Amino acid sequence: MPFKAGVFRSFLIPCMLAFLLQACASESYIVLLENPDGHTGAVTVSGEKGKQLIKKAGDGALLDGSQAPAPVAADKIREDFGEAMAARPKVPKRFILYFQIDTTLTAESEGQLPTIIAEAASRPAVDISVVGHTDTMGKADENAALALVRATLVANLLKDKGLKYHNMTVESHGERNLLILTPNEVYEPKNRRVEVSVR
Amino acid sequence: MFKCVVLSSCLLSPVLWAADAPIGWVKNVTGDASVSSHGVLVRAESGTAVWQGSVLRTGAKSSMGITFKDETIMSFGPNTQMSVDEYLYAPAQGQLSLVGKLAKGTMNYVSGIIAKLQPDAVAVNTPVGMIGVRGTQFVVKVEE
Repeated sequence: MPFKAGVFRSFLIPCMLAFLLQACASESYIVLLENPDGHTGAVTVSGEKGKQLIKKAGDGALLDGSQAPAPVAADKIREDFGEAMAARPKVPKRFILYFQIDTTLTAESEGQLPTIIAEAASRPAVDISVVGHTDTMGKADENAALALVRATLVANLLKDKGLKYHNMTVESHGERNLLILTPNEVYEPKNRRVEVSVR
Repeated sequence: MFKCVVLSSCLLSPVLWAADAPIGWVKNVTGDASVSSHGVLVRAESGTAVWQGSVLRTGAKSSMGITFKDETIMSFGPNTQMSVDEYLYAPAQGQLSLVGKLAKGTMNYVSGIIAKLQPDAVAVNTPVGMIGVRGTQFVVKVEE
């Protein structure tokens, strides 16, 4: 009998360890989710017990890095994170407006202004950034000034047409933030733009 | 001494304005939540500004959602504390950084443009481990 009890004990202890690790999993952990845009990226956890890479939506891992990523039940995600997920604000929306020449919007971009105003009206405490850009034709400092003129023009057009907002910033990135990468002194209509981020 | 060095390098920085402007705004709150910035604690509501260094807290049965300038989204469940220790968003200067610390509670995180342009510039620290973000959405829970 004592021999049997010893066997039982040596079997039981690993089981209890396994159970404890499971219990730990309900404490500090992360779960990767699909992005609102449908893509899935990746996260790494680096803790004192190791480093893990999670790249599959629905997989989770302990924050101490001790366990390889494993699927987390949807019920558990809902139970632990339902309130945080329900509080997620609307995903920001970005509009790109293009210019014919210098400071004249294309007709299509001008037609987008009411859409931007409606989008802003649908959000609580909406904050908006209006950022002007140029292509690489001409001098950098002149392009910085031109991009600011473009951004200011779009901001004023939006306000004139009835845009309401909690906060707005108007900035210039000049030729330093190209949408289409080009060498210097390249005429590129897609780089002559104002980006409006509605958050 | 260290603080002096940090301060003077901030003053010389071309993104000085960044330190003077909000980095995000509270969009929604249920129950009790607060934003503590520059040593001043305010009760959070839709429209409350968030600054670099702000500490964000929710109470029992409460939640809060915040959207940052670079389109990063953080929302918190009950009994949560998160600080935004470093936030730099100046893409034209190539200055990008988002470092926070989740001390306790639950968070739903959707990464924004900082993570898209420079993934290694984003980190969420916790008492047990550090999270690196490669352009994605995740949920995380820290129990005390």
